[in-house]
Amino acid sequence: MATQMADAWAVDVQNVSKSFDEIKALDGVTLRVKRGEIYGLLGPNGAGKTTLIRLIVGLLESRAGTVTVLEQRMPNVPVLRQIGYMTQQAALYPGLSVEENVQFFAAINGAEEGVKEALELVELYERRSSVVATLSGGMRQRCSLACALVHKPQLLLLDEPTVGVDPQLRVQFWESFRRMAAAGTTIIVSSHVMDEAERCQRLGLIQYGKVLAEGTPREIRTLGGSQNLEEAFLALAGQKAS
Amino acid sequence: MSGHRIAAITRRLLQQFRRDRRTLALLFVAPIVILGLLGYLMRGSASAPAVGVANEDQGQLGAMVAAALTRSSVITTTTIQASDGDSKLKDGSLAAYIVFPPDFSQQAQAGAIAPEVHLEGSQPGTTAPVLQALQQALISLAAQGPVHVQPHVTYLYGGPGFDTLDYFGAAFIGVVVFFLVFVVTIVSFLNERSQGTLERLMASPLRRGEIVLGYMLGFTVLALVQSAEVLVFSLAVLKVHNAGNVALIFGIEALMAIAAVNLGIFLSMFARTEFQAVQFIPLVVVPQILLSGILFPVATEPRPLQVVSDVLPLTYAVNGMRDVMVKGADLTWSSLQLEVGVVLGFVVLIVLAAVATLRRRIA
Ligand SMILES: Nc1ncnc2c1ncn2[C@@H]1O[C@H](COP(=O)(O)OP(=O)(O)OP(=O)(O)O)[C@@H](O)[C@H]1O
Ligand SMILES: [Mg+2]
Repeated sequence: MATQMADAWAVDVQNVSKSFDEIKALDGVTLRVKRGEIYGLLGPNGAGKTTLIRLIVGLLESRAGTVTVLEQRMPNVPVLRQIGYMTQQAALYPGLSVEENVQFFAAINGAEEGVKEALELVELYERRSSVVATLSGGMRQRCSLACALVHKPQLLLLDEPTVGVDPQLRVQFWESFRRMAAAGTTIIVSSHVMDEAERCQRLGLIQYGKVLAEGTPREIRTLGGSQNLEEAFLALAGQKAS
Repeated sequence: MSGHRIAAITRRLLQQFRRDRRTLALLFVAPIVILGLLGYLMRGSASAPAVGVANEDQGQLGAMVAAALTRSSVITTTTIQASDGDSKLKDGSLAAYIVFPPDFSQQAQAGAIAPEVHLEGSQPGTTAPVLQALQQALISLAAQGPVHVQPHVTYLYGGPGFDTLDYFGAAFIGVVVFFLVFVVTIVSFLNERSQGTLERLMASPLRRGEIVLGYMLGFTVLALVQSAEVLVFSLAVLKVHNAGNVALIFGIEALMAIAAVNLGIFLSMFARTEFQAVQFIPLVVVPQILLSGILFPVATEPRPLQVVSDVLPLTYAVNGMRDVMVKGADLTWSSLQLEVGVVLGFVVLIVLAAVATLRRRIA
């Protein structure tokens, strides 16, 4: 049964641990994400969300456990062509224009044809010749998202993509995420905003480098014994701590 | 390896520089300023040291030597009283004064003359011209005697017009390019790290070799333009002596620039911030410049330092530049073959080192 299901997993993280000197950033994390799913990684600051995402892309190697992405054991360079990664702080070339940034990331993925579409998606097409250093924080975040999805990856890893993005655009972002997921893209989003968590198909709650609970938002609410996701989360976090 | 991805990196670097006026100025204005200043310092009409002459000789000889000193081009002379000499040295109006004692002519009869030379002494640079002028004056005097002294001088390299700028210029052309390209590369590469884009590159299908090659190509384009600019300025404006093939000089310059790019990438792996990178300059660059024979010929160094000089690639690059420009060497000379070979070997090594140290892991 498990082997038959294997093809359906876009990401399969098995019992992964990672420490930085004394700090245990991840401690025996196991989670699986289905193809075409929007998976939310929820957890407070320092929970290990960014570390987990870096492990999934192969930027970090775990001390123990395995990470499999699109059937390839990570780290693996060719599979990166199928991955889009939006880093937590907008990592862009401040001296280049919006379009030049997106073009560059398109070019290294061999996907120059997607530039216009990506710019339109984040509503920066009109501002495409502005130099990134002159953009507002939210615009930079949008440009960073455009760079991550310009090559239409099968797996999108978004580390807090909506920080600093205004509510209207945030709604639009989620609409496009859902559209991409419907078209088969797997999306993993980290967040600590609960109303965003509601929009995910499945959630993983992380704290102190461990997965506290996993499931649909409804399942999480039931587990935490509350109608409210935030309260459920706090209840689950409290259970583990005590 | 994908040429397409390498080209993407090169193109992006050049786009960045197009907007980065400050770095462009560092690359293209700074070398002209540095070399121009150097040329002016070494060739500009330096005022010759002021020397006082006190002639107390009761015979004829003192006046004759004093007259010969006045004609010297390396010092300017004034006539003074011997008793005023010391106070004039102290107040800085004279760099030296020369006294011909009352029995000067008599000394000559006895076969040993002793003019008194009083030097200010705190500035070594002014000592040599004073002594040189005195010697020349005495020689010219001897020439008026029965024995005619007229040395017959020939030059293997250089020539009568060959000066300090010709000697230093040949080395500086290469070093200025090496130094500036190194600084710009190490800082840009660290920028990539600190602004987080390196993390993105590492999470893309780019291979390490592609990143290094893309950088190398981008900076090499800039470095070649800079090298050409520096060369034209040195030969056409500063008129630095050149006995060799211009294309060969350019080739050595280009090799140095490529070495600098890769040294920058390689060393950036050992720094986390731009500030730490700047700390490499006194550690890595300055000792190389001191020991590569640019300022002090390697042959005159203390023996332990010669050993160090002999393993520094910059030493070979500097010697190569001098061999070509001063001595007119071409690639059939075994000394130049060795020098170019060492620099080439270093370039290959440092490229491999840069690729090997660029880790996919970013934390
Ligand atoms: N490169 C590193 N060196 C040392 N410690 C690190 C490193 N990266 C992460 N850590 C530590 O690992 C832990 C998890 O960090 P991580 O960045 O994964 O948290 P996070 O869940 O993304 O938090 P946030 O919501 O603030 O982004 C933290 O305690 C952090 O200090
Ligand atoms: Mg984080």
